[in-house]
Amino acid sequence: MHIQIEYYLILSAFMFIVGVVGVLTRRNAIVVFMSIELMLNSANLTMVAFSSYLGNAVGQLFVFFVMAVAAAEAAVGLAIIIALFRNKLTINIDELNILKW
Amino acid sequence: MELSINYILNELNFIKPELVISISIVLIVFTDLIFDKRKQILPVISLISLLITGYFVIEQFGMNTFAIAPAGSKGMLAVDPFGAFFKMVVLFASFIIILFSINSSEIKLSSDRHGEYYTLIFGMILGMLFVISAADLILIYISLELLSLSSYVLAGFTKQSLRNSEASLKYLIYGGVSSGIMLFGISIIYGITGSTNLYEINSLIQAPQLPNITFILASILIFTGIGFKISAAPFHFWTPDVYEGAPIPITAYLSIASKAAGFALLIRFVKVTFIQSINTEGYWQLLNIIDWKTFVVLISILSMTLGNFAALWQNNLKRLLAYSSIAHAGYLLLGLAVLSNQGLLAIIIYFAIYAFMNLGAFLIVMLIANKTGSEDMDDYNGLGFTSPLLSVSLAIFFISLTGLPPTAGFIAKLYLFIALIDAEMITVAVIALLNTVVSLYYYVRVLKHLYLVKAEPDTPIIGVSALNTVLILMLLIPTLVFGIYFTPIVDFAKVSVSLLGF
Amino acid sequence: MNIYDAIFYLFAVVTGLSAFFVVTTRNIVYAAFFLLFTFFGVAGIYVLLGADFIAIVQLIIYVGGILILLLFGVMLTNKITSVQIKTGTLQIVPAAVGVGLFAGFLIAVLTYTEWKTVDTALPLTTTEFLGVMLLQEYLVVFELLGILLLIALIGAASIARR
Repeated sequence: MHIQIEYYLILSAFMFIVGVVGVLTRRNAIVVFMSIELMLNSANLTMVAFSSYLGNAVGQLFVFFVMAVAAAEAAVGLAIIIALFRNKLTINIDELNILKW
Repeated sequence: MELSINYILNELNFIKPELVISISIVLIVFTDLIFDKRKQILPVISLISLLITGYFVIEQFGMNTFAIAPAGSKGMLAVDPFGAFFKMVVLFASFIIILFSINSSEIKLSSDRHGEYYTLIFGMILGMLFVISAADLILIYISLELLSLSSYVLAGFTKQSLRNSEASLKYLIYGGVSSGIMLFGISIIYGITGSTNLYEINSLIQAPQLPNITFILASILIFTGIGFKISAAPFHFWTPDVYEGAPIPITAYLSIASKAAGFALLIRFVKVTFIQSINTEGYWQLLNIIDWKTFVVLISILSMTLGNFAALWQNNLKRLLAYSSIAHAGYLLLGLAVLSNQGLLAIIIYFAIYAFMNLGAFLIVMLIANKTGSEDMDDYNGLGFTSPLLSVSLAIFFISLTGLPPTAGFIAKLYLFIALIDAEMITVAVIALLNTVVSLYYYVRVLKHLYLVKAEPDTPIIGVSALNTVLILMLLIPTLVFGIYFTPIVDFAKVSVSLLGF
Repeated sequence: MNIYDAIFYLFAVVTGLSAFFVVTTRNIVYAAFFLLFTFFGVAGIYVLLGADFIAIVQLIIYVGGILILLLFGVMLTNKITSVQIKTGTLQIVPAAVGVGLFAGFLIAVLTYTEWKTVDTALPLTTTEFLGVMLLQEYLVVFELLGILLLIALIGAASIARR
């Protein structure tokens, strides 16, 4: 390994920050969802980097689990988005938010 | 290292409650498919399997061991009385919630999907049981996600209502973000220590030359994920919206069971990972890495103050109870901030009582909403004269939530304040006391609508069926009795404070 | 600079840039395609880190599964260009300051920590021992994952069907 582990960590930190920014600024639910996937990917990258530099396989196993969970979360998330979309069509668009602070 | 089949069968003895729940999931799915037309047997199956699970959980009060521990490493699960107590809270709440669901008009609306409903409830239960006893960050993450995924769907279960779908989407987004943040924290902790087991991490970080600031960062990131589950203050944004939007049985369930699982996880995480020693008076000496005491006190004061003051302006009962649940998360966190076995005792007593009174309050709100179709405070006008049983019960539950004698809520707060004063945290105790006074105002405001506004001719008369009367009494009688005769609950809590290893 | 470094910088630039474009582009379909490049870049870095199994799984699950799912979501909901999912109006300036501070802190901490590294590398092919771990030490987690997928399936189907 020639590259120091910090390089991988900075890359994953960058991805994480980009994900956080996306969640905070974008209004489209699907793009927010993509940003969450970015955050999960960055955590995975960190874990694989540590796993490889520590010579410890648990990290890679954890990443495998996280990927399965992310797939399940994406399925449930899109189901919810589609259910919401169906309801919105039947209702006045001006009333975008029933639940307010 | 080979795992023999005998070894696996032996280890299964320690996860009997989880096994029963898993089998019930399969059973419910198949029953739903085979007896398609007879949905009413689903709750019966659920209640029976909860009782069986309860029996196996009671067995666990006598255990104190690791489960699923392959040779040479610590176990994935810690089976101990502390976990057994929180599992009991979860199972009790599930039992009551299934009785709620039989009555709720919101759930009855989508009767063709009852199979899915109970399957998802059991998915949540399984997730919570694993969260409560998990001692490995991998298992913690997976079971938290199982819990969250089921509750996202349940929050939007009656998909005809826009309110439900919105609540579901908000819950999903906030939940996804907080679990992503938590995962990043977990990955940093893994990077520092090379382990994911809480007990192993604890022994690895005893060495002094640790990168402290990194560990603090990781702990705070993980706290974000747990704080989301217990709806503590800076991570509470989802609470009012989801509580208002979700069907009432699910709201009640989130406020008790998922909070209990979150607290069990938080306490296990803080105590197991950071403990150095426990002195003779039961105070925990934590490793000098992160100042948990200050941190938790700040979070808790923020939660209490924000929850109580925001509740003052709420006109929707579910929203009011949501803010009150944020405030109660604050009180409960104070028990952790004491960092002693006495504080833990106070949390356990508080939870045992909180389960009765909060479920009771939601039950009354649900029964009134079944009739009037809304949770608005103005619809409660004059109900005190037309529906005396419901109004008196609601009054008692609210007095108990405030913490006034002679109700059980007073005992809960009393033990909490005693723990605080023993630990010489007088300022914090005073702040908590002032908060209680503030909370009195909004609880009493509801009672004012019930009793001080004259009943109009169109004020509905809300009949209560026999089953519902029994259900109300099941929650009401303990709320009153434990206020006067609280020795059994304290004795029970004293058994439950012991965590594995400490 | 040897070939490994060059490959790392290539994948890092692809990943970072496309991740940046995912959240900045206005067109949601473009965002999905940039996400594709991000996932590919991350998979490349996994290979570089010696995690071959994880790299393949990344391609199969993220590119083959999640991304397709997201694109279906885009197709099915393209009429609502902006579902407002936040009710509070966030102030841009405090948010930028907050995120900036957090980013600086995070990167500073990650850079200045002295991570312990070990020379004992993992075997060249990781699939075998990952499989063994999966079915021995982590058997319970594996089974729990099965239930999680079942629950997700039932939940998604029940909420998405008419």
